[in-house]
Amino acid sequence: MSIKSLDPRVTRENLPEQPNTESIKDLHQWQTYEVFHQVKKGDHHIHVGPVHAPNPDMALILAKEQYARRYKCVNLWVVKTADIKKTDYEDEDIFETNQEKMYREAGGYKVMERINKFKAEHKNK
Amino acid sequence: MKELNDNQIGAVKDLIFRMADDELILGHRNSEWTALGPILEEDIAFSSMAQDKLGQAHAMYQILHKLGEADPDTIAFTRDEKDFKCCHLVEFPIGEYDFSLMRHFLFDSAEALRFEMLMGSSYDDLANVAKKFKGEIKYHIMHADTWLVQLGNANEISKARMQSSLNECFPLALGIFEPSDFEETLIKDNIFPGEKRLQEEWLKFISPVITSAGLILPDINNCEPAFGGRKGYHTEYLKPLLDEMTEVYDIDPGAEW
Amino acid sequence: MYGGGYIFEETKNGHSEKDDEKKLEQFEAKIAAGEKIEPSEWMPAEYRKQLIRMIEQHAHSEIIGALPEGTWITRAPGFRRKLALMAKVQDEVGHAQLLYSAAETLGKPREEMINDLITGKSKYSNVFNYPAKTWADTAVIAWLIDAGAIINQVANSKGSYGPYCRALERICLEESFHLKYGHDNVVFLATGTPKQREMVQEALIRWWPPIMHFFGPSDKISVHTETLMRWKVKMASNDDMRQKFLDMYVPKIWDLGLTIPDPKLKKNEETGKWDYTEPDWDEFKRVINGDGPCNKERLAVRRRAEEKGEWVRNALQRPTEKYTIPLA
Repeated sequence: MSIKSLDPRVTRENLPEQPNTESIKDLHQWQTYEVFHQVKKGDHHIHVGPVHAPNPDMALILAKEQYARRYKCVNLWVVKTADIKKTDYEDEDIFETNQEKMYREAGGYKVMERINKFKAEHKNK
Repeated sequence: MKELNDNQIGAVKDLIFRMADDELILGHRNSEWTALGPILEEDIAFSSMAQDKLGQAHAMYQILHKLGEADPDTIAFTRDEKDFKCCHLVEFPIGEYDFSLMRHFLFDSAEALRFEMLMGSSYDDLANVAKKFKGEIKYHIMHADTWLVQLGNANEISKARMQSSLNECFPLALGIFEPSDFEETLIKDNIFPGEKRLQEEWLKFISPVITSAGLILPDINNCEPAFGGRKGYHTEYLKPLLDEMTEVYDIDPGAEW
Repeated sequence: MYGGGYIFEETKNGHSEKDDEKKLEQFEAKIAAGEKIEPSEWMPAEYRKQLIRMIEQHAHSEIIGALPEGTWITRAPGFRRKLALMAKVQDEVGHAQLLYSAAETLGKPREEMINDLITGKSKYSNVFNYPAKTWADTAVIAWLIDAGAIINQVANSKGSYGPYCRALERICLEESFHLKYGHDNVVFLATGTPKQREMVQEALIRWWPPIMHFFGPSDKISVHTETLMRWKVKMASNDDMRQKFLDMYVPKIWDLGLTIPDPKLKKNEETGKWDYTEPDWDEFKRVINGDGPCNKERLAVRRRAEEKGEWVRNALQRPTEKYTIPLA
């Protein structure tokens, strides 16, 4: 006996009525690629998520529908997850004093006060 | 060309019915894979392309509506089997994934070329629709070619499956190009270059892909093309498909869903 | 669709003994300050375990949730409904992909999760073990189950785990289409011919008990989840979400002149909350443990899909290529 479903597609599959609880072998899902999209030319590419794919060609084909079927985009990149090198969050402190390094910032160079003072001092001479 | 004469109207309508019915039936078939595909990502991609097919069918039926036929829903959901002009290729059940992929490759390659030709059609409405769908069909071809070449070159099982599906689909696919009674008008008035020309282009287009996939194209001279669909003679699969598709629509004729 | 009524395990004193006290303190401070936790950061083992469990259940609910509505995918009436239903069922598959990916970042490969689903080890939302008997059932599911899911998901998208929040944000955007589509569909039936009205009323009667089950057991009887709430894994209580749903949707259902099959259902003016007949939690447990009308079929279908795809996945698998968990 096979399952008679309300879904004609399922009925056509002739599924066994007895439940099967065995594991499926070869369920493997390939490897993962990270997908980046560019919303419009001139923008940076932004990470949008991963796809499972066996190789880069397939990753691009599959990423197109999962990540660009609803959202506007002009370009996609895929890169194998394993090829991405990243910093550890445990090392987050290496970025900590960045904001204090005023010698690297435009805001670190405010000379108007000095100029005004100089002008005021020399006005009467 | 905006206004058609009677002879041209007959020719254009016939051409559009063939195209739209193919798209509707294949889109319907391919939608059967939704949520049952071989891997999640491909499930999504294949479903999008099935939706595209239905969208194309709808746009085509809209042109027919402008030419005096009923509205798209009525055309799609109320005609008898014999009034459909789809080819046999699109009617077959989805089978295993190799069959569905091969059908997708063979059909969409023909469709991509047909739309390319129609972009230059003297009949503006057809040319405009063809231009509109250019991009989505291009993706279908990228998808089909990638899968075909990869599975054809992967392992013994996948290669054998793809070859066997090619052998099965090829004569059916030749049925796409069943000549119509209007070929002469279509060609003479620059509406469409004709099925014979399309088939030649198609063979040139698919051959290198089939070769890259390591597959062998069946000898066309030993193939009996599956004709009949364009004249309303269908396989045993179309009637049950239409009964299923229209089950809810038929519950309450005249209802708005 | 469909994050709701998760089954949590009781947390073990909030964390395992191995977890470093100092790290735990920092972790909790981050969450209290509204910071997100990212995949490679330190987290208590219990946090990881409960998150995997929850996100996995959510992903399963999407992929199985595609089946009740999928029942009508070949029979949707007219182009507009046919295209919309295809797109909706497709979105559910897409959501499953996003959610499995989020769960994978915690270290459980997708194949293991799918295997746990089809061998009956993992749970998914109870409602999908009920059949979609008529076209109108798909309308009620798309409107009201998706409405429930949005309430749950909007809450969860403010949770603490980065990848889950990001997935949910995207999912919620797509759900708004589902909700509109479902509402439009129900409105057409409810304002249509007598036959159509009858169909949608019957579907509502069938789906009301599962809808009341959707947010999970009443707070009075569910396991204590204080730690999970503190860790922002669970973001709202089952009863609060149920109340919110009733507040938002009961008036809309009544607007259409439809009858909700619960004579006790009314807003209590004193408490400001809805009174309702307590859902049958024994049935909820029975169904979630495998004895619902469609449990067997749902798992058999998923198993068949995986079996049919096996040769495709095998063919393109290269032994030299090793699976890596996704980045974020």
